[in-house]
Amino acid sequence: MPPYAPEPESNGRQRELFVAGVVLVLAFSAMFLSGGSQQQIAGVFQTSFLRPFTEVQLRREVARLRGVAVEDMRSLVDSLTLMLITHAAVVDENETLRELLVLGERAGAQYRPATVLRPGTPGSESMFLVDVGAEDGLRQGSAVVGPAGLIGVIREVRSRQAVGMDWTHPDFRVGAMIEDGSAYGLVERWEGEFREADRLVLNGIAFNQSVARSSRVVTSGAGGIFPRGIPIGRTQEVFDTEGSWRKSYWLDPFVDPASTTHVLVLTRDVDLDATRIWPGDSIAAADRAPVSGGAS
Amino acid sequence: MSSSVSARVWLVVALLATLHLLLHVSFSMDGGAPDLLTLGLLLASREIGTGRAASLGLFWGLLEDALSVLSFGANSVAMTILGIGGALTRDLFVGDSRFFLVSYVFIGKWTRDLFHWIAVDSGQRQPFVEEVLVDGGIASLYLVPVGVLVAMVTGLGRDK
Repeated sequence: MPPYAPEPESNGRQRELFVAGVVLVLAFSAMFLSGGSQQQIAGVFQTSFLRPFTEVQLRREVARLRGVAVEDMRSLVDSLTLMLITHAAVVDENETLRELLVLGERAGAQYRPATVLRPGTPGSESMFLVDVGAEDGLRQGSAVVGPAGLIGVIREVRSRQAVGMDWTHPDFRVGAMIEDGSAYGLVERWEGEFREADRLVLNGIAFNQSVARSSRVVTSGAGGIFPRGIPIGRTQEVFDTEGSWRKSYWLDPFVDPASTTHVLVLTRDVDLDATRIWPGDSIAAADRAPVSGGAS
Repeated sequence: MSSSVSARVWLVVALLATLHLLLHVSFSMDGGAPDLLTLGLLLASREIGTGRAASLGLFWGLLEDALSVLSFGANSVAMTILGIGGALTRDLFVGDSRFFLVSYVFIGKWTRDLFHWIAVDSGQRQPFVEEVLVDGGIASLYLVPVGVLVAMVTGLGRDK
Protein backbone atom coordinates (compact mmCIF):
# COMPACT_ATOMS: atom_id res chain seq x y z
CA MET A 1 0.00 0.00 0.00
CA PRO A 2 1.71 3.17 -1.02
CA PRO A 3 2.22 5.49 1.93
CA TYR A 4 0.94 8.67 0.15
CA ALA A 5 -1.90 7.46 -1.97
CA PRO A 6 -3.80 10.30 -3.56
CA GLU A 7 -7.08 11.03 -1.82
CA PRO A 8 -10.12 10.83 -4.05
CA GLU A 9 -11.55 13.82 -2.24
CA SER A 10 -8.45 15.85 -3.06
CA ASN A 11 -8.67 14.88 -6.70
CA GLY A 12 -12.29 15.96 -6.87
CA ARG A 13 -11.38 19.20 -5.20
CA GLN A 14 -8.68 19.94 -7.73
CA ARG A 15 -11.01 19.18 -10.57
CA GLU A 16 -13.61 21.54 -9.09
CA LEU A 17 -11.06 24.29 -8.79
CA PHE A 18 -9.85 23.66 -12.31
CA VAL A 19 -13.37 23.90 -13.71
CA ALA A 20 -13.96 27.04 -11.67
CA GLY A 21 -10.78 28.54 -13.08
CA VAL A 22 -11.77 27.74 -16.63
CA VAL A 23 -15.20 29.22 -16.07
CA LEU A 24 -13.65 32.33 -14.58
CA VAL A 25 -11.43 32.71 -17.61
CA LEU A 26 -14.48 32.33 -19.84
CA ALA A 27 -16.29 34.98 -17.84
CA PHE A 28 -13.40 37.41 -18.22
CA SER A 29 -13.07 36.60 -21.88
CA ALA A 30 -16.72 37.54 -22.39
CA MET A 31 -15.73 41.09 -21.53
CA PHE A 32 -13.13 41.19 -24.26
CA LEU A 33 -15.11 39.61 -27.07
CA SER A 34 -15.83 41.71 -30.12
CA GLY A 35 -19.08 43.65 -30.19
CA GLY A 36 -20.55 41.31 -32.78
CA SER A 37 -19.76 38.21 -30.74
CA GLN A 38 -21.21 39.79 -27.62
CA GLN A 39 -24.36 40.62 -29.54
CA GLN A 40 -24.58 37.06 -30.83
CA ILE A 41 -24.36 35.63 -27.33
CA ALA A 42 -26.88 38.17 -26.05
CA GLY A 43 -29.17 37.32 -28.96
CA VAL A 44 -29.07 33.63 -28.11
CA PHE A 45 -30.12 34.34 -24.54
CA GLN A 46 -32.73 36.89 -25.57
CA THR A 47 -34.41 34.54 -28.01
CA SER A 48 -34.33 31.52 -25.73
CA PHE A 49 -34.34 31.83 -21.95
CA LEU A 50 -35.38 35.46 -21.78
CA ARG A 51 -38.01 35.36 -24.53
CA PRO A 52 -41.03 34.51 -22.32
CA PHE A 53 -40.15 37.26 -19.87
CA THR A 54 -39.62 39.93 -22.52
CA GLU A 55 -42.89 38.84 -24.16
CA VAL A 56 -44.75 39.39 -20.91
CA GLN A 57 -43.12 42.79 -20.56
CA LEU A 58 -44.08 43.68 -24.12
CA ARG A 59 -47.72 42.69 -23.57
CA ARG A 60 -47.84 44.61 -20.32
CA GLU A 61 -46.48 47.70 -22.04
CA VAL A 62 -49.01 47.40 -24.88
CA ALA A 63 -51.82 47.03 -22.35
CA ARG A 64 -50.54 50.03 -20.41
CA LEU A 65 -50.33 52.15 -23.55
CA ARG A 66 -53.88 51.15 -24.48
CA GLY A 67 -55.00 52.12 -21.00
CA VAL A 68 -53.28 55.49 -21.35
CA ALA A 69 -54.86 55.97 -24.79
CA VAL A 70 -58.32 55.22 -23.39
CA GLU A 71 -57.74 57.65 -20.53
CA ASP A 72 -56.58 60.32 -22.98
CA MET A 73 -59.59 59.76 -25.20
CA ARG A 74 -61.94 59.90 -22.23
CA SER A 75 -60.38 63.19 -21.13
CA LEU A 76 -60.70 64.49 -24.66
CA VAL A 77 -64.35 63.48 -24.89
CA ASP A 78 -65.03 65.07 -21.48
CA SER A 79 -63.33 68.29 -22.57
CA LEU A 80 -65.24 68.35 -25.84
CA THR A 81 -68.54 67.68 -24.07
CA LEU A 82 -67.85 70.47 -21.61
CA MET A 83 -66.88 72.77 -24.44
CA LEU A 84 -70.06 71.93 -26.35
CA ILE A 85 -72.24 72.47 -23.30
CA THR A 86 -70.58 75.80 -22.55
CA HIS A 87 -70.71 76.73 -26.20
CA ALA A 88 -74.44 75.97 -26.43
CA ALA A 89 -75.13 78.10 -23.35
CA VAL A 90 -73.04 80.97 -24.70
CA VAL A 91 -74.71 80.78 -28.11
CA ASP A 92 -78.12 80.77 -26.46
CA GLU A 93 -77.29 83.75 -24.27
CA ASN A 94 -75.73 85.55 -27.19
CA GLU A 95 -78.87 85.08 -29.24
CA THR A 96 -81.07 86.33 -26.39
CA LEU A 97 -78.88 89.39 -25.92
CA ARG A 98 -78.94 90.10 -29.64
CA GLU A 99 -82.72 89.86 -29.72
CA LEU A 100 -82.93 92.03 -26.64
CA LEU A 101 -80.70 94.59 -28.31
CA VAL A 102 -83.02 94.73 -31.31
CA LEU A 103 -85.99 94.97 -28.98
CA GLY A 104 -84.29 97.70 -26.96
CA GLU A 105 -83.74 99.73 -30.11
CA ARG A 106 -87.41 99.45 -31.00
CA ALA A 107 -88.59 100.10 -27.45
CA GLY A 108 -86.49 103.20 -26.84
CA ALA A 109 -85.17 104.64 -23.60
CA GLN A 110 -88.36 104.00 -21.63
CA TYR A 111 -87.32 100.33 -21.33
CA ARG A 112 -84.23 99.67 -19.24
CA PRO A 113 -82.12 96.55 -19.84
CA ALA A 114 -81.56 94.44 -16.75
CA THR A 115 -80.07 91.17 -15.67
CA VAL A 116 -82.29 88.66 -13.91
CA LEU A 117 -81.11 86.95 -10.74
CA ARG A 118 -82.97 84.05 -9.20
CA PRO A 119 -82.59 83.69 -5.41
CA GLY A 120 -83.09 79.93 -5.67
CA THR A 121 -84.27 79.63 -2.08
CA PRO A 122 -87.41 77.73 -1.00
CA GLY A 123 -90.47 79.95 -1.36
CA SER A 124 -88.78 82.25 -3.83
CA GLU A 125 -90.05 80.38 -6.88
CA SER A 126 -91.65 82.73 -9.39
CA MET A 127 -89.68 85.63 -7.91
CA PHE A 128 -86.62 87.29 -9.35
CA LEU A 129 -84.33 90.24 -8.81
CA VAL A 130 -83.32 92.75 -11.44
CA ASP A 131 -80.24 94.95 -11.17
CA VAL A 132 -82.08 98.20 -11.87
CA GLY A 133 -84.20 100.16 -9.39
CA ALA A 134 -85.88 103.44 -8.56
CA GLU A 135 -82.81 105.41 -9.62
CA ASP A 136 -83.28 103.96 -13.09
CA GLY A 137 -86.91 105.02 -13.23
CA LEU A 138 -88.59 101.76 -12.18
CA ARG A 139 -91.87 101.76 -10.31
CA GLN A 140 -94.02 99.16 -8.68
CA GLY A 141 -96.00 97.41 -11.41
CA SER A 142 -93.45 98.00 -14.16
CA ALA A 143 -93.77 95.41 -16.90
CA VAL A 144 -90.87 93.04 -17.38
CA VAL A 145 -90.51 91.87 -20.94
CA GLY A 146 -88.20 89.86 -23.13
CA PRO A 147 -87.70 89.50 -26.87
CA ALA A 148 -90.66 87.09 -27.07
CA GLY A 149 -93.08 88.98 -24.87
CA LEU A 150 -94.31 89.43 -21.33
CA ILE A 151 -92.34 87.81 -18.49
CA GLY A 152 -93.72 89.38 -15.35
CA VAL A 153 -94.12 92.49 -13.28
CA ILE A 154 -92.08 94.43 -10.71
CA ARG A 155 -93.48 94.20 -7.17
CA GLU A 156 -90.90 95.93 -4.99
CA VAL A 157 -88.58 98.72 -6.01
CA ARG A 158 -85.37 99.63 -4.18
CA SER A 159 -82.90 102.29 -5.17
CA ARG A 160 -80.72 100.11 -7.39
CA GLN A 161 -82.56 96.84 -7.36
CA ALA A 162 -86.08 95.58 -7.77
CA VAL A 163 -87.99 92.42 -7.03
CA GLY A 164 -90.36 91.03 -9.62
CA MET A 165 -92.66 88.09 -10.15
CA ASP A 166 -93.06 86.18 -13.36
CA TRP A 167 -96.30 84.82 -14.81
CA THR A 168 -95.99 81.56 -12.86
CA HIS A 169 -96.73 83.44 -9.61
CA PRO A 170 -100.21 82.77 -8.16
CA ASP A 171 -100.90 86.52 -7.93
CA PHE A 172 -100.09 87.23 -11.52
CA ARG A 173 -102.94 88.80 -13.56
CA VAL A 174 -102.88 90.80 -16.74
CA GLY A 175 -105.62 92.26 -18.89
CA ALA A 176 -105.42 90.68 -22.33
CA MET A 177 -107.00 90.60 -25.72
CA ILE A 178 -106.85 88.73 -28.97
CA GLU A 179 -104.33 90.64 -31.08
CA ASP A 180 -106.98 91.85 -33.54
CA GLY A 181 -109.13 93.17 -30.66
CA SER A 182 -111.97 90.72 -31.27
CA ALA A 183 -112.15 89.53 -27.67
CA TYR A 184 -110.96 90.78 -24.26
CA GLY A 185 -110.28 88.87 -21.07
CA LEU A 186 -107.94 88.34 -18.17
CA VAL A 187 -104.85 86.14 -18.29
CA GLU A 188 -103.90 84.36 -15.09
CA ARG A 189 -101.91 81.40 -14.01
CA TRP A 190 -103.56 78.02 -13.66
CA GLU A 191 -101.79 75.88 -11.10
CA GLY A 192 -100.79 72.46 -12.35
CA GLU A 193 -100.20 69.35 -10.24
CA PHE A 194 -96.56 70.34 -10.09
CA ARG A 195 -94.76 73.54 -10.96
CA GLU A 196 -93.67 72.45 -14.40
CA ALA A 197 -97.34 71.87 -15.20
CA ASP A 198 -98.38 75.49 -14.46
CA ARG A 199 -100.16 77.02 -17.42
CA LEU A 200 -101.74 80.28 -18.49
CA VAL A 201 -105.45 80.66 -18.95
CA LEU A 202 -107.34 83.39 -20.82
CA ASN A 203 -110.46 83.99 -18.74
CA GLY A 204 -113.59 86.05 -19.19
CA ILE A 205 -114.29 85.50 -22.87
CA ALA A 206 -117.99 85.90 -23.64
CA PHE A 207 -119.66 82.56 -24.23
CA ASN A 208 -121.01 83.47 -27.62
CA GLN A 209 -117.64 84.73 -28.79
CA SER A 210 -115.54 82.29 -30.74
CA VAL A 211 -111.76 82.49 -30.51
CA ALA A 212 -109.82 80.65 -33.16
CA ARG A 213 -107.15 78.27 -32.02
CA SER A 214 -103.63 79.70 -32.19
CA SER A 215 -104.82 83.27 -31.97
CA ARG A 216 -102.17 85.58 -30.61
CA VAL A 217 -102.96 87.07 -27.23
CA VAL A 218 -101.42 90.37 -26.18
CA THR A 219 -101.82 92.73 -23.25
CA SER A 220 -104.89 94.92 -23.59
CA GLY A 221 -103.59 97.89 -21.60
CA ALA A 222 -106.64 97.73 -19.36
CA GLY A 223 -105.85 98.95 -15.85
CA GLY A 224 -102.97 101.11 -16.96
CA ILE A 225 -100.22 98.85 -15.61
CA PHE A 226 -99.13 97.03 -18.72
CA PRO A 227 -98.90 98.83 -22.04
CA ARG A 228 -101.12 97.54 -24.77
CA GLY A 229 -99.67 95.07 -27.25
CA ILE A 230 -97.13 93.01 -25.30
CA PRO A 231 -97.31 89.39 -26.54
CA ILE A 232 -98.36 86.84 -23.95
CA GLY A 233 -99.14 83.62 -25.76
CA ARG A 234 -101.27 81.75 -28.20
CA THR A 235 -104.72 80.30 -27.54
CA GLN A 236 -105.23 76.55 -27.39
CA GLU A 237 -108.41 74.62 -26.76
CA VAL A 238 -111.23 75.70 -24.45
CA PHE A 239 -110.32 75.19 -20.83
CA ASP A 240 -113.64 75.74 -19.09
CA THR A 241 -117.09 77.19 -19.50
CA GLU A 242 -119.18 78.86 -16.80
CA GLY A 243 -122.85 78.36 -17.41
CA SER A 244 -123.70 79.73 -20.78
CA TRP A 245 -122.19 83.18 -20.36
CA ARG A 246 -118.39 82.82 -20.08
CA LYS A 247 -115.59 80.56 -21.16
CA SER A 248 -111.83 80.38 -20.89
CA TYR A 249 -109.02 79.11 -23.07
CA TRP A 250 -105.67 77.55 -22.43
CA LEU A 251 -102.75 79.72 -23.47
CA ASP A 252 -99.42 78.59 -24.79
CA PRO A 253 -97.04 81.25 -23.39
CA PHE A 254 -94.36 82.82 -25.56
CA VAL A 255 -91.85 83.12 -22.71
CA ASP A 256 -90.33 80.52 -20.41
CA PRO A 257 -89.45 82.55 -17.29
CA ALA A 258 -87.11 79.89 -15.94
CA SER A 259 -84.67 80.31 -18.78
CA THR A 260 -84.76 84.10 -18.80
CA THR A 261 -81.46 85.79 -17.98
CA HIS A 262 -81.77 89.25 -19.51
CA VAL A 263 -84.89 91.43 -19.72
CA LEU A 264 -86.17 94.90 -20.40
CA VAL A 265 -88.07 96.72 -17.65
CA LEU A 266 -90.55 99.49 -18.36
CA THR A 267 -89.81 102.84 -16.63
CA ARG A 268 -92.10 105.64 -15.51
CA ASP A 269 -92.14 107.32 -18.88
CA VAL A 270 -94.61 104.79 -20.07
CA ASP A 271 -95.94 104.69 -23.56
CA LEU A 272 -99.22 102.83 -23.31
CA ASP A 273 -98.98 101.37 -26.75
CA ALA A 274 -96.32 98.76 -27.17
CA THR A 275 -97.71 97.29 -30.35
CA ARG A 276 -94.91 98.72 -32.49
CA ILE A 277 -92.27 97.12 -30.24
CA TRP A 278 -93.41 93.59 -31.05
CA PRO A 279 -94.29 93.53 -34.71
CA GLY A 280 -95.76 90.41 -36.21
CA ASP A 281 -92.40 88.92 -37.25
CA SER A 282 -91.01 88.95 -33.72
CA ILE A 283 -94.04 87.11 -32.45
CA ALA A 284 -93.71 84.68 -35.30
CA ALA A 285 -90.12 84.06 -34.16
CA ALA A 286 -91.35 83.37 -30.65
CA ASP A 287 -93.91 80.99 -32.08
CA ARG A 288 -91.16 78.75 -33.34
CA ALA A 289 -90.35 77.71 -29.79
CA PRO A 290 -93.59 77.81 -27.80
CA VAL A 291 -93.40 77.20 -24.08
CA SER A 292 -95.70 74.72 -22.40
CA GLY A 293 -94.69 75.01 -18.72
CA GLY A 294 -93.58 77.79 -16.46
CA ALA A 295 -91.32 76.52 -13.72
CA SER A 296 -88.80 78.99 -12.46
CA MET B 1 -24.76 15.70 -1.56
CA SER B 2 -27.60 13.28 -2.01
CA SER B 3 -29.66 13.29 -5.19
CA SER B 4 -32.79 14.49 -3.35
CA VAL B 5 -30.89 17.44 -1.89
CA SER B 6 -29.38 18.17 -5.29
CA ALA B 7 -32.79 18.15 -6.95
CA ARG B 8 -34.14 20.46 -4.27
CA VAL B 9 -31.24 22.88 -4.77
CA TRP B 10 -31.73 23.05 -8.52
CA LEU B 11 -35.50 23.42 -8.10
CA VAL B 12 -35.01 26.34 -5.73
CA VAL B 13 -32.47 27.89 -8.05
CA ALA B 14 -34.82 27.58 -11.01
CA LEU B 15 -37.76 29.04 -9.07
CA LEU B 16 -35.71 31.97 -7.79
CA ALA B 17 -34.37 32.66 -11.26
CA THR B 18 -37.85 32.55 -12.80
CA LEU B 19 -39.24 34.84 -10.13
CA HIS B 20 -36.30 37.21 -10.53
CA LEU B 21 -36.78 37.48 -14.27
CA LEU B 22 -40.53 37.91 -13.89
CA LEU B 23 -40.14 40.73 -11.38
CA HIS B 24 -37.20 42.48 -13.01
CA VAL B 25 -37.80 41.87 -16.71
CA SER B 26 -41.52 41.25 -17.13
CA PHE B 27 -42.72 43.69 -14.49
CA SER B 28 -39.77 46.13 -14.69
CA MET B 29 -39.55 46.43 -10.92
CA ASP B 30 -35.78 47.09 -10.87
CA GLY B 31 -34.76 48.01 -7.33
CA GLY B 32 -38.26 47.35 -6.04
CA ALA B 33 -37.68 43.61 -6.26
CA PRO B 34 -34.84 41.74 -4.52
CA ASP B 35 -31.92 40.28 -6.47
CA LEU B 36 -33.11 36.68 -6.39
CA LEU B 37 -30.52 35.52 -8.93
CA THR B 38 -27.73 36.47 -6.54
CA LEU B 39 -29.62 34.92 -3.64
CA GLY B 40 -30.09 31.68 -5.54
CA LEU B 41 -26.43 31.60 -6.47
CA LEU B 42 -25.32 32.31 -2.91
CA LEU B 43 -27.49 29.57 -1.45
CA ALA B 44 -26.75 27.04 -4.16
CA SER B 45 -22.99 27.60 -4.32
CA ARG B 46 -22.58 26.15 -0.82
CA GLU B 47 -24.33 23.01 -1.93
CA ILE B 48 -23.17 22.22 -5.44
CA GLY B 49 -19.39 22.58 -5.42
CA THR B 50 -16.99 25.17 -6.79
CA GLY B 51 -17.06 24.20 -10.46
CA ARG B 52 -20.83 24.07 -10.75
CA ALA B 53 -21.18 27.24 -8.71
CA ALA B 54 -18.84 29.02 -11.09
CA SER B 55 -20.75 27.66 -14.08
CA LEU B 56 -24.06 28.69 -12.59
CA GLY B 57 -22.63 32.12 -11.88
CA LEU B 58 -21.42 32.44 -15.45
CA PHE B 59 -24.83 31.39 -16.77
CA TRP B 60 -26.71 33.87 -14.56
CA GLY B 61 -24.21 36.56 -15.47
CA LEU B 62 -24.67 35.97 -19.19
CA LEU B 63 -28.44 36.12 -18.72
CA GLU B 64 -28.13 39.53 -17.12
CA ASP B 65 -25.52 40.69 -19.60
CA ALA B 66 -27.87 39.78 -22.45
CA LEU B 67 -30.22 42.46 -21.16
CA SER B 68 -27.59 45.10 -20.38
CA VAL B 69 -26.76 47.42 -23.20
CA LEU B 70 -23.31 48.38 -21.99
CA SER B 71 -20.35 46.52 -20.50
CA PHE B 72 -21.16 43.03 -21.66
CA GLY B 73 -19.42 40.52 -19.41
CA ALA B 74 -19.42 42.58 -16.22
CA ASN B 75 -22.27 40.58 -14.73
CA SER B 76 -20.69 37.32 -15.89
CA VAL B 77 -17.43 38.10 -14.11
CA ALA B 78 -19.16 39.31 -10.95
CA MET B 79 -21.49 36.32 -10.72
CA THR B 80 -18.75 33.80 -11.51
CA ILE B 81 -16.51 35.20 -8.80
CA LEU B 82 -19.47 35.19 -6.44
CA GLY B 83 -20.24 31.57 -7.21
CA ILE B 84 -16.64 30.54 -6.62
CA GLY B 85 -16.44 32.65 -3.48
CA GLY B 86 -19.68 31.26 -2.14
CA ALA B 87 -18.50 27.71 -2.69
CA LEU B 88 -15.17 28.41 -1.01
CA THR B 89 -16.88 29.69 2.13
CA ARG B 90 -17.98 26.11 2.67
CA ASP B 91 -14.36 25.32 3.59
CA LEU B 92 -14.05 28.30 5.88
CA PHE B 93 -17.38 28.43 7.68
CA VAL B 94 -19.69 25.64 8.73
CA GLY B 95 -22.50 28.15 8.45
CA ASP B 96 -25.23 26.63 10.54
CA SER B 97 -26.21 29.78 12.38
CA ARG B 98 -28.71 32.50 11.52
CA PHE B 99 -26.01 35.13 12.06
CA PHE B 100 -23.83 33.49 9.44
CA LEU B 101 -26.70 33.36 6.96
CA VAL B 102 -27.50 37.05 7.46
CA SER B 103 -23.84 38.03 7.09
CA TYR B 104 -23.33 35.70 4.16
CA VAL B 105 -26.26 37.04 2.17
CA PHE B 106 -25.47 40.68 2.99
CA ILE B 107 -21.76 40.44 2.21
CA GLY B 108 -22.41 38.23 -0.81
CA LYS B 109 -24.83 40.66 -2.42
CA TRP B 110 -22.67 43.66 -1.58
CA THR B 111 -19.59 41.90 -2.98
CA ARG B 112 -21.46 41.06 -6.17
CA ASP B 113 -22.29 44.74 -6.65
CA LEU B 114 -18.71 45.70 -5.88
CA PHE B 115 -17.28 43.30 -8.44
CA HIS B 116 -19.82 44.42 -11.00
CA TRP B 117 -18.86 48.05 -10.42
CA ILE B 118 -15.19 47.17 -10.84
CA ALA B 119 -15.84 45.17 -14.03
CA VAL B 120 -17.93 47.85 -15.69
CA ASP B 121 -16.04 50.24 -17.94
CA SER B 122 -15.02 53.28 -15.91
CA GLY B 123 -16.69 55.68 -18.34
CA GLN B 124 -20.05 54.05 -17.93
CA ARG B 125 -20.42 53.38 -14.23
CA GLN B 126 -21.95 55.52 -11.53
CA PRO B 127 -19.82 56.97 -8.72
CA PHE B 128 -18.63 54.36 -6.23
CA VAL B 129 -20.43 55.89 -3.28
CA GLU B 130 -23.74 56.02 -5.08
CA GLU B 131 -23.70 52.66 -6.80
CA VAL B 132 -21.82 50.44 -4.37
CA LEU B 133 -22.13 52.03 -0.94
CA VAL B 134 -25.64 53.47 -1.11
CA ASP B 135 -27.55 51.46 -3.73
CA GLY B 136 -25.56 48.29 -3.11
CA GLY B 137 -25.92 48.62 0.66
CA ILE B 138 -29.67 49.12 0.44
CA ALA B 139 -30.06 46.21 -1.98
CA SER B 140 -27.98 43.99 0.32
CA LEU B 141 -30.09 44.92 3.32
CA TYR B 142 -33.20 44.23 1.30
CA LEU B 143 -31.95 40.80 0.28
CA VAL B 144 -31.17 39.65 3.83
CA PRO B 145 -34.75 39.09 5.07
CA VAL B 146 -35.67 37.55 1.74
CA GLY B 147 -32.68 35.23 1.99
CA VAL B 148 -33.54 34.22 5.54
CA LEU B 149 -37.11 33.50 4.48
CA VAL B 150 -36.04 31.42 1.49
CA ALA B 151 -33.50 29.51 3.59
CA MET B 152 -36.14 28.78 6.21
CA VAL B 153 -38.65 27.56 3.66
CA THR B 154 -36.27 25.52 1.52
CA GLY B 155 -33.79 24.34 4.13
CA LEU B 156 -30.86 25.58 2.04
CA GLY B 157 -27.92 27.36 3.69
CA ARG B 158 -27.75 24.95 6.63
CA ASP B 159 -24.93 22.51 7.29
CA LYS B 160 -25.98 18.95 6.60
